[in-house]
Amino acid sequence: MSTVLSSSTLNKERVGRQITSSIAMTVILVTFSMLFASLLLGFTVFRITSEVWPPMGFERVDLFLPTISTIVIALSSFTFWKYERLFLIENSEKKLWLGFTTLLGLSFMVTQMLLWRDLHTKGIYVQDGIFPSIIFSFTWTHAAHVVVAWLLLFYLVPTLKEDVSVESLENRVFNIGKFWHFLGVVWLIMYITIFLF
Amino acid sequence: MAFYEQHIHDAPKTFLSKYIFSYDHKVIGKQFLWYGILFLGIGGMMALMIRWTLAFPGQPFPVIGNFLFPSTGGVVPPDTYAMLFTMHGTIMIFYAITPILIGAFGNYLIPLMIGARDMAFPLLNLLSFHVAVLSGVLLLAGLFTPLGAAAGGWTSYPTLSTLIGSPGVGQTLWTLAIFVLGISSTMGAINYITTIITLRAPGMGYFDMPLSVWGLGLTAILNAIFLPVLGAGCLLLVFDRVFGTAFFLAGAAATSGTGDPILFQHVFWIFGHPEVYILILPAWGIVSDLLSFFARKPAFGAKATALSMTTITILSTVVYGHHMYTTQMSPLLTQSFMTLTMTISIPSAIFFANWLGTIWKGSIRFHSPMLFSLGVVFVFGLGGLTGLYLATVTTDLYLHDTYFVVGHFHYTMAASVLLGGFAATYFWMPKMFGTMMNEFWAKVHFWITMIGLNGIFMGMMVVGYAGMHRRLYNPFVYEFMERMMPINTFITWSAIIMGLSQIIFVINFVHAVFFKKEKAGDNPWEVGTLEWTIPSPSPHYNFKEIPIVKCGPHEFGNPNLTGERDFQYQTEELA
Repeated sequence: MSTVLSSSTLNKERVGRQITSSIAMTVILVTFSMLFASLLLGFTVFRITSEVWPPMGFERVDLFLPTISTIVIALSSFTFWKYERLFLIENSEKKLWLGFTTLLGLSFMVTQMLLWRDLHTKGIYVQDGIFPSIIFSFTWTHAAHVVVAWLLLFYLVPTLKEDVSVESLENRVFNIGKFWHFLGVVWLIMYITIFLF
Repeated sequence: MAFYEQHIHDAPKTFLSKYIFSYDHKVIGKQFLWYGILFLGIGGMMALMIRWTLAFPGQPFPVIGNFLFPSTGGVVPPDTYAMLFTMHGTIMIFYAITPILIGAFGNYLIPLMIGARDMAFPLLNLLSFHVAVLSGVLLLAGLFTPLGAAAGGWTSYPTLSTLIGSPGVGQTLWTLAIFVLGISSTMGAINYITTIITLRAPGMGYFDMPLSVWGLGLTAILNAIFLPVLGAGCLLLVFDRVFGTAFFLAGAAATSGTGDPILFQHVFWIFGHPEVYILILPAWGIVSDLLSFFARKPAFGAKATALSMTTITILSTVVYGHHMYTTQMSPLLTQSFMTLTMTISIPSAIFFANWLGTIWKGSIRFHSPMLFSLGVVFVFGLGGLTGLYLATVTTDLYLHDTYFVVGHFHYTMAASVLLGGFAATYFWMPKMFGTMMNEFWAKVHFWITMIGLNGIFMGMMVVGYAGMHRRLYNPFVYEFMERMMPINTFITWSAIIMGLSQIIFVINFVHAVFFKKEKAGDNPWEVGTLEWTIPSPSPHYNFKEIPIVKCGPHEFGNPNLTGERDFQYQTEELA
């Protein structure tokens, strides 16, 4: 009987900590959402008050690199999700999927740098007006967050051990996962708004 | 309620772990208190320089004027005047009131009042203070840059804040400092929200929480949602200043490839109006509790007060446009914003009436925390009523950018929040430091502060109504304002008196913290909330056993109480 009680108490503690970290992560994501929403609000103001977009003298950004970025970040969300599932069932293949995610995260940043270089090659610099200001600033801000998220992936290295305790590390995995998926969603919104329209 | 059992952490042993890098919410609360008081002094001194310039144009500032402004023989120069009002506003709002009300009392009170051992994330809490220190250093560093500190006003409107209006590094540092402070406040908000939701003692429902916790919790929600909006504005402003982007550079339209300075105003006030409530909600909550404690009556309509504060919090998010009537906003929008703003009067009136209901026929104990709380009721009433003129488009068009606005927001944001902060400091002093402050000097402090404060802010509204423009270095070069010199001198003397009276507080405070031998009792004010069930000052683990809550925080006069006691502890259950 006492064993049952203590395991029930332990379970309550575990769920309690899960909920606590989940609430905190939700608040964090709300704050980041508001940051990006404000940036997009700024874009919306310029976009809807402008008779032509891009403004005169500018061409649309070539969609090739942003599309590659979108595919890469979407894939990385999938690989991270796969890693999360395998972590929970303590499957050793989790290493592989976290590795894929790390690689895709790096690839995303490379595509961003290629995009910035491409714009420079075409003679478009950040200080040239509101259009390049938006493209560069928004992608910089998003990339800075991706760098942080990418570094956080290394915080998951202890989860790759074979005999790891799922209970002690699950909150870390889920919270970093939420942030990773969130950045994917933000990129998708940015892709649709500032690149497609 | 409590989602999990917090561990009792070991008592810190070294100086560093005890006072500098402490995880303890109580130490962090005190750190924020000292930090806020330091900035209150700096911001207050700047206010005196501003007032001196307006009352005695061309005369050197006494005592330290020659040291600070040697090139002008001690007279505050015009460019420095702009820096002074910018830095005064910034410091008072973000670096004095915010750390005292939210940082100090939020950190100190929330776990104690909800029966928790610490915040949900102690490390995050520690970081939030040190990030705030970094922000303060960045801000003050601006004063030592070649072209001086930021001078674009506390709202930092472009084009005043762009490289054209403020070419120096000071404005960039200002913008970075605010961004960094936003990170600190967000860390605090995450902690407050999570702690309140998950660590309430068993038995404590949301309506069993003291109203102080309600105020602090709602503030945290507003912080979490709206600080990032200002963060986005600051980020783009830094990009404009450092990387040459064009978000806020003046221009006709996006088609010409230029930005829009008004966009910053929108972003600023989307954050800025909730910021008013971010500052004032903790004071409202604290005052709502203290009025009940010192009237020895249950808080009248406590649930309605909590719900009114929640309603105001929600409405505060949709009224920002009333700060921008003069930006040629469409009449459709101005009317909408006016209506929404007026709507805030309804919940405000409800909880203001509840305050009056609480003290009505109470057995009032006029101790210093109660005096300061009654002061809040008075000044907030005035501040709220004068806000109606600014919410109304027609009157705002005349009053905008006059000293009427300055008087109004000082009544609401400065006076009521400052008095609320003093009330809280006097009240929780025994629990924070284990000693009481001297009551006689506390009352002297209150009366001089009240007289000085009303002299200043009432005077400001009078000169503002007469048309005195704010932000002018020497408005008396205009003939119609020459006759306002005497009242400006009166305002300045009121400011000097109020400034000097704060020395009484500082001496009283420092004496009580460091020199007073007589220890306070565990519950000197005879109050039933959870923090008064533990020793004074609070032990590092707060509660040896997590308390079980049986009743609300304002239980007074239960006929089943025995002995002399007229209050009931939240852990007690009476028939």
